Amino acid sequence: MINVDGLTKTFRMDNYEISAVDDVQLNVQPGEFILIFGRSGCGKSTLLGMLAGLIRPTKGVVRVHGVDIAHLSDDDVSGLRAKEIGFVFQFSGLLSTLTVLENVLLPTLFCTYSPSSGLRALELLEKVGVLDRADAYPHTLSSGEMKRVAIARALINGPALLIADEPTGDLDVDTEFEIMELFRQLNHEGTTIVMVTHNPDLIPYGTQSYSMERGKIVGKPKTSSCENLDLKSVSHLTTRDLT
Amino acid sequence: MSKPPDFHFFRLVARNLGNRPYRNIATIFAFAIIAATFFSSQYLMSGAQQSLDAGISRMGADILVVPEDYAGAGQTVILAGTPTSFFFEDSGFEKISRIPGVAKASPQIYIATLFASCCAAPVQMIAIDPKRDFTIAAWLKENPGLRLGKDDIIIGSAIIQNVGNDLLFYGHTFHVVGVLKQTGMGVDNAVFTRFEDAYVMAEESGQKAVKKLIIPEGKVSAVLVKVNPGTSPAAVASEIMAQVPGTKTILPNGLLNAVSGQLSAITRILYGASLAVTIVSVPLLGVISAMVAHERRKEVSILRALGATKAFVVRLLLVESFSLAIMGGCIGIGVSATILVLYQDFIMHLLKIPFIIPSLTTILVQGGSALLLSIVVGGVSALYPVIIFIRSEPYESIRGGES
Repeated sequence: MINVDGLTKTFRMDNYEISAVDDVQLNVQPGEFILIFGRSGCGKSTLLGMLAGLIRPTKGVVRVHGVDIAHLSDDDVSGLRAKEIGFVFQFSGLLSTLTVLENVLLPTLFCTYSPSSGLRALELLEKVGVLDRADAYPHTLSSGEMKRVAIARALINGPALLIADEPTGDLDVDTEFEIMELFRQLNHEGTTIVMVTHNPDLIPYGTQSYSMERGKIVGKPKTSSCENLDLKSVSHLTTRDLT
Repeated sequence: MSKPPDFHFFRLVARNLGNRPYRNIATIFAFAIIAATFFSSQYLMSGAQQSLDAGISRMGADILVVPEDYAGAGQTVILAGTPTSFFFEDSGFEKISRIPGVAKASPQIYIATLFASCCAAPVQMIAIDPKRDFTIAAWLKENPGLRLGKDDIIIGSAIIQNVGNDLLFYGHTFHVVGVLKQTGMGVDNAVFTRFEDAYVMAEESGQKAVKKLIIPEGKVSAVLVKVNPGTSPAAVASEIMAQVPGTKTILPNGLLNAVSGQLSAITRILYGASLAVTIVSVPLLGVISAMVAHERRKEVSILRALGATKAFVVRLLLVESFSLAIMGGCIGIGVSATILVLYQDFIMHLLKIPFIIPSLTTILVQGGSALLLSIVVGGVSALYPVIIFIRSEPYESIRGGES
């Protein structure tokens, strides 16, 4: 689905260059839940930005369905994002001027709008458990509810890939668990997910997990199956142990 | 379950506009001021020009001859209708009629009335010689069946009386037989009667009026001259002044220049005001645009991440800006048009220019051009945020400010 080859991004700061992402190779197959773990500032988000065509790489290639996105026009890359890629940000990214339902419907403006979009939005809100807040404005929602709405929004155009940038970074442990369960459910239903996190507790959720340090993918990918894992207890235990 | 909404581009625009009410009101106000000043300038100038054209056409003369010392007063009678009385020897009129190039000459007597029964203030009475007149005669021709008979008067449009009413001047009763069309000039405040009735009124005034009116025998106030086709009015005017000492000639062009001088001073003020308002408003709009660019960077980046093209973002920003410009423009034009119409008399008195309300087509064209100016300024003020958003890397903006 996505093939990344030698992907590099350098930023010029005064008289020296910083490599945010350095020669990354990555393959994302349909149905996978790729989890990239790394400390803050290691280049995870820059990598996601390049995967989605939001950041232009300094070197390397990102191929989506075999097409190098560097060769696509802005309209084509935007169309790809609108139809094929759903985005969930670290912060909710909801527009404060729109209701929950309108926020979910927002990406339909960038595709062909159909009357069924409204029904689909309501179904998604029901799926993520915030249907009763459809007419509310974002500032009245809890952090967890906002994140659920953001996930519903990311799924509205039926994307093949869901990209999540530290989606649980600002959540408490219980809400984090609920959101991760939602991601796991979506993955089981066939949605391909690429997520970055700085929280090692979430590694078991990924079908493939990578570690990232100073812009590079280090070590070999770990394959895990969390079918029988009590993730909530793991999450609590690890967090407690850390404190 | 909520009813699925019909979410579309213009709902997003409306939501965005509703989100920042105070700033948007300030922006709309700036657009309203720009449109109002531009519209007012055009409206006043075209109204004055139209009035001047109508007034000169009503006069129907190529040259107005007045006593040398009363040239200013002669212009005032025509332009403003300020009541005045002055005379020169009728023998002058006879000489004027004989000057080569003069096709027709029509004498007039100007009489400033006392407080009349019709009016709150004195009006200008203009006595004409029906046999030689071509000013009122032209109007009478357009209204078949009408004639200016004994003790009849034809009144200007600004004198609020109806046909069939009687009016009292210097104790003499006159009968209104016609009302002239509005010109916006002095004619609107004048009353036309015949020489013989004016003389009778003057004769009776000793007994009937509080003040006796004296019209010196054999004297007239002005002579209207029409020149032969192909003859230069300026050349004839020079000849009149040479052959009839003590006279001054006024040509419609000179009249136009007198008003144009007045008008151009006002025009300069109005255009100066428009320019000043635009100069003040554009940086204000620029500052607001810069604030918008800063504040909305993350919002626009989110739209881009969700799949919005650059063209969509440009369209969104321009439509929002144009919407504010159109709202402001319409408010500015509407308010200024209302004020100009409601307080027309007061404004004209203040500006001292002749004026009639321009035609609806003219007003619509002027309103349209003022609205267009607002839209252009709106487009220009949206350029800065548009450029900022197009140049920025969306994902950096999304993460900017996030911990």
